[in-house]
Amino acid sequence: MQIFIILGIPLFLSAAALLIKNQKVFGIINSIGYLGVLLASILLLRETALSQSAFFYFGFIYLDLLSAFFIFVISTVAFAAALYSIGYIRKDIEGGVISEKKAKIYYILFNLFCFSMLFVPAMNNLGMLWVAIEMTTLISAFLVGFYNNKESVEAAWKYIIICSVGIIFALLGTVLFSYAFSISGGIKSLNWSDMMASAGTMDKNILKIAFIFILVGYGTKAGLAPMHTWLPDAHSQAVAPVSALLSGVLLKTAIYAILRFGIITIKAVGFAYFSNLMILLGVISLAISCGFILIQKDLKRLLAYHSVEHVGIIAIGLGIGGTLGVGGALLHVFNHGVTKALMFFGAGNVVNKYRTHNMHVIRGVISAMPFTGFMLLMGAFALAGMPPFSIFISEILIIFAAFLKGYYLVTFLLLGFIAIIFGAVVHHFSQIIFGSIPKGMPVEKEPLSGKLAFLFLFIQICAVGIVLPFIQKDLAWIVQKLFQG
Amino acid sequence: MQGIILFTVLSSTYLMVIAKRMSALVRGFRYQSFCLFALTFMMAQEEHRPDLYIIAGLLFVLKVSFIPHLLYRVIRKIKANEDLGLFINPQLSLVWALAFTCLSWIFTVNFIAPSNEIQAGILAIAFFIVLTGLFLMIFRMTALAQIIGLLVMENGLFLLASTVSGGMPFFVEIAIFFDVFVSVLIMGFFVYRINKLFTHIDVNKLSRLKG
Repeated sequence: MQIFIILGIPLFLSAAALLIKNQKVFGIINSIGYLGVLLASILLLRETALSQSAFFYFGFIYLDLLSAFFIFVISTVAFAAALYSIGYIRKDIEGGVISEKKAKIYYILFNLFCFSMLFVPAMNNLGMLWVAIEMTTLISAFLVGFYNNKESVEAAWKYIIICSVGIIFALLGTVLFSYAFSISGGIKSLNWSDMMASAGTMDKNILKIAFIFILVGYGTKAGLAPMHTWLPDAHSQAVAPVSALLSGVLLKTAIYAILRFGIITIKAVGFAYFSNLMILLGVISLAISCGFILIQKDLKRLLAYHSVEHVGIIAIGLGIGGTLGVGGALLHVFNHGVTKALMFFGAGNVVNKYRTHNMHVIRGVISAMPFTGFMLLMGAFALAGMPPFSIFISEILIIFAAFLKGYYLVTFLLLGFIAIIFGAVVHHFSQIIFGSIPKGMPVEKEPLSGKLAFLFLFIQICAVGIVLPFIQKDLAWIVQKLFQG
Repeated sequence: MQGIILFTVLSSTYLMVIAKRMSALVRGFRYQSFCLFALTFMMAQEEHRPDLYIIAGLLFVLKVSFIPHLLYRVIRKIKANEDLGLFINPQLSLVWALAFTCLSWIFTVNFIAPSNEIQAGILAIAFFIVLTGLFLMIFRMTALAQIIGLLVMENGLFLLASTVSGGMPFFVEIAIFFDVFVSVLIMGFFVYRINKLFTHIDVNKLSRLKG
């Protein structure tokens, strides 16, 4: 039942955005709506965790704990982005960057984008899953090219072309999956639950090829290197709240799709095949992002490459498997979404104030904007993996899992790259946060809604980081439950 | 009959590979889509399936009439240079295309294990079309040619899906059509914007974002 509330509110809001003139009022309505989505998703999470079987509606909506978890992550970040949008869009209107009319278009697209993302985890039909993911690309391309200058239109074009090609390969993989399913004597169906039921009898060779196409296809969307080239462009040019959504949750919806196909593949072909591919792509992502993070000059591109790194870590966690590995990876999905959203909000404020992305020019953020500066500092440490923040917990879980399962080389590489990136991040952010403030720049009072968005995310980062070590037992239980699904 | 149509699909794809001008490329795409329409229509007649008639109708309206028309219109409106920005000249492209044909045949026979000769032929042609679409996207430097490359890949997948598993479920097929339609509209919109901001649509020169 909750799923209809979750999907209905964004659709309703995008229609309401058409009608309501005053953007400030609508921003507040928007946030209240997403608060509703968040509450509904928590209820859904609770219900799926407690019930024994999955929920079906009309044959094409399928909900188990895994989908409920991804819906929860999406609605958390979407709520924060809606809160942050109020102040950000008002500032853009006041600064004359965009008109009132354009702000209206922004809210319509924002809601449609959130709707298409929330749609992805609820799908049972793998063809509809594909359509939903392609829809997220098409809608967010407008949000990437929103400012309509040379850079942003270039980024939007690259984004739409690279992701569309990638996703065509995913469709090819989906068709091959359905072929393998149809020759195994099953009924003609693209439903995940049907395929899952007869996964054991499918043709192994076709599934192996099909899974590679899936991995290339959805991997492009997930930002796994070497298919990540659209990611830094799109993330750096999009409107700040949308950058947070792109990095925080859009990549995760593609991970979700890979996971769904991966579960079928594991059941039919065996775990080693899936594991090797995921670990390989994960390590490549870490290596490539590490190099670009070291030499980066652009603040938002730095954060974008950071997303490539974290997606790589998630892929490694899934590839290692076991309770610890998968649990760590899924926890990392949440932690990275929340932390990266916080950082992109901070970067958005900084870029708005200094009117540049170049980190050699930005100095003294903490004196110019005390609140944002402090949040950026904390966020940078959280992102780099310092205790007591949450990313530390999920990273350490994945490292434990790798070590216990005997992947010594992977553990070594993972630790090495994380250490290098830690140094790079602390170096870059200490440069921009401290130092003397440029002459003639006034100290700014920040809007309340923006502050609330920061606090909402920051509390979650700390809470997960501090509380989780004490409830290991419940955590293990939930992960066990996820495995059944 | 089916064999003749398949042969036409193959030759229209070669036609697109050797096309030097924009309008020739769009025309090639139109021929290819028309062949797919004919194939689907025949299949519908053979099996008496009303849903296939609808899909064939959509194919005709969208890919044979509307999308080529839209592309011609964009070409006229932005007064784009007819030049495709070839990275590889037509003769060499044809050699590549022939290599793709062999490759997809080998791939089909060895990995997919089709049940009969005709199915093997269709599968090989479908993979060949997907590969050619990718080739067009990579080695033609204008934004419009990239859109057509994407559409060609989609055509290949349509052929693949309709042979291997008797087509996707009906409403998925409709959703995919809708999706293709929307994506062409959006990409066309972005081509306008690129042309307005950069005064050209050469994708190779879009290099402001680096590192």
